[in-house]
Amino acid sequence: MTRLSVPMTAAILLLPGAGYLALLFGLPLVLAVLASFGVLTRGYDGGPTLAFYAELFGTRAYVDGLVFSTYLALVPTAVSLMISVPLAVLLAQSFPGRRLFTALNKVPLVVPGIVAAFIVMTLFDRGGTAARVLAPLGLDLPKLVRDDWAIGAVMATVWKTVPFMTLIVGGAMASINRDVVLAARTLGAGPVATFWQIQIPLALPGITAATLLSFIGGMGAFAVPNLLGPVYPLPLSVHMYVNAFERANWGLVAAMGTTLSAISCVVLLAYYRVTRGLRAAGGAR
Amino acid sequence: MAELSLTSIRKTFGDATAVETLDLSIANGEFLTLLGPSGCGKTTILRMIAGIAMPDAGEIRIGGRRVDGLPPEGRNVGLVFQSYALFPHMTVAANVGFGLKMRKVPRREAEDRIAAALDLVDLGRFAARYPRELSGGQQQRVALARALVTEPDLLLLDEPLSNLDAKLRDQLREDLRRLQERLRVTTLYVTHDQSEAMALSDRILVMRAGRIVEEGAPEALYRRPRTRFAAEFLGQTNVVRLIRRDGMAMLPWGEAMPDAQSDSAYVSIRPEDIALRPDPHGPGRITACTFLGPTVEYRVELAERSLRVRQTGSGTVLLTEGTGVALSLLVTPHPLAEGMA
Ligand SMILES: Nc1ncnc2c1ncn2[C@@H]1O[C@H](COP(=O)(O)OP(=O)(O)O)[C@@H](O)[C@H]1O
Ligand SMILES: [Mg+2]
Repeated sequence: MTRLSVPMTAAILLLPGAGYLALLFGLPLVLAVLASFGVLTRGYDGGPTLAFYAELFGTRAYVDGLVFSTYLALVPTAVSLMISVPLAVLLAQSFPGRRLFTALNKVPLVVPGIVAAFIVMTLFDRGGTAARVLAPLGLDLPKLVRDDWAIGAVMATVWKTVPFMTLIVGGAMASINRDVVLAARTLGAGPVATFWQIQIPLALPGITAATLLSFIGGMGAFAVPNLLGPVYPLPLSVHMYVNAFERANWGLVAAMGTTLSAISCVVLLAYYRVTRGLRAAGGAR
Repeated sequence: MAELSLTSIRKTFGDATAVETLDLSIANGEFLTLLGPSGCGKTTILRMIAGIAMPDAGEIRIGGRRVDGLPPEGRNVGLVFQSYALFPHMTVAANVGFGLKMRKVPRREAEDRIAAALDLVDLGRFAARYPRELSGGQQQRVALARALVTEPDLLLLDEPLSNLDAKLRDQLREDLRRLQERLRVTTLYVTHDQSEAMALSDRILVMRAGRIVEEGAPEALYRRPRTRFAAEFLGQTNVVRLIRRDGMAMLPWGEAMPDAQSDSAYVSIRPEDIALRPDPHGPGRITACTFLGPTVEYRVELAERSLRVRQTGSGTVLLTEGTGVALSLLVTPHPLAEGMA
């Protein structure tokens, strides 16, 4: 019997699992990237080209769309983070009504994004519920739906994101050894210093994971900005839809998708950089 | 450094009482040990003193200053957790320096003090390591250095040696003893291990189910316990009922008890305080012999009961099973308080 080298044996043993993953996750991505360069592109047979990227980065509306997609990833994520992290700490304490609060906080988890968008719309659109309630008081609601800053879209996204972020961050906080937190207190740290010096760093893997998921969701957001966002710019996801189904420009669609994925990848790498030190220190506990 | 006093401290969790109304005081520089079985409330007492658990009632004073009601960061107490509770995301130096950083000690001074504290526990080489890169014993010493570097008024140690293997435990016990003798920091030590308690302490409080059962210096407590619980917790012993005959108190093997108090019914006799002599007509018979190296342990069967007897392992001829023996006392045993038997 011939002896196989160790890496070779490992590769063969890994093949069923890794091959499956490669086929399922890798192949579609590779095909999309190839299509964006004119290789095996649907409805195009002009050979390899950079023309689709040229079109994407040469068209004002698309560049603005890309910036807007990034904005829709960044802003709701940042706002949700500022709400979720303190909320996770709060929910870890015991206080009257905690169970009810925790249950209510989970409601948005079971409401689909499109439904959330419609809720925000009926509440905050011109002539919506909030406007009608405030009108008799002489108060005028600012434009929140289809406004330039996409506040309505940000609100709907935050509403969806906060519970899920709280859940992940809360889990990360709960897994911190309680004695470690108490040790900080006995060493002279007040609650605020303990929060920043001990709880946040130790929950960082959870916090960054939640941030990452929220960010990537925002990059590809379609329904919510489409319903609640401004008329211009449109997020890149909407341009992808239009180019695919109204213009059959699949090469451009692939270039847009590849670009969105590339930005998410950059964020993912940044995530690994941030948490690497912690994982090296065994701090993920 | 300062003295500590607890007055009428009580703590319940739901309807379970963890600490029953309890008074305790430690003199400045004293090494006091709370000794008791698992679950008797030792950790709860330490946590209340450190301010991370709130007593239901009572007063805690450190150096005369009342501290119950103060948050933990206002008490200047060093606590070494049973689990060490090192900060996993910080290096050894950062762990030790954390308390100094919180006290806004200038950087240069902090660096010097961290280095001194690490030298104290012989860990200078490991300053840049992370806790998980250290052995259990090293982690324990980091926790100790971290608690000492801020010069606390009071040092609290929660079973600091219990997670270590036996050999390392003996080593660290000696180190701890020397360290305390050198620093003379007022120390409250918690353990369920009687030899640790005796080796380290100026004074021991024996606890049981949230109460202090008995207290004393190690030797006195070992040789002259008043309660059966303390007698048995501090080491192996034979609790023996005295037989009254003709106004004399007799030991089970017929020896008259010297200077027996008339009213005491029970005495505690340590296995090493009984001498054995081979005697085919003696009242006892060896039923088990265990050679342990430094000592030999015998089980001696009498008419009504059996006794543990320990003899030095040095040079003696072992008494084999079945050998008839005569017994005699080497020291006068101490009567136990009535009712505790
Ligand atoms: N946070 C808590 N909640 C409920 N019961 C507790 C808590 N902490 C301790 N206890 C109970 O109080 C008693 C004393 O515990 P502890 O002080 O940890 O004992 P020891 O340190 O002597 O082993 C035990 O019966 C334990 O179950
Ligand atoms: Mg304990």
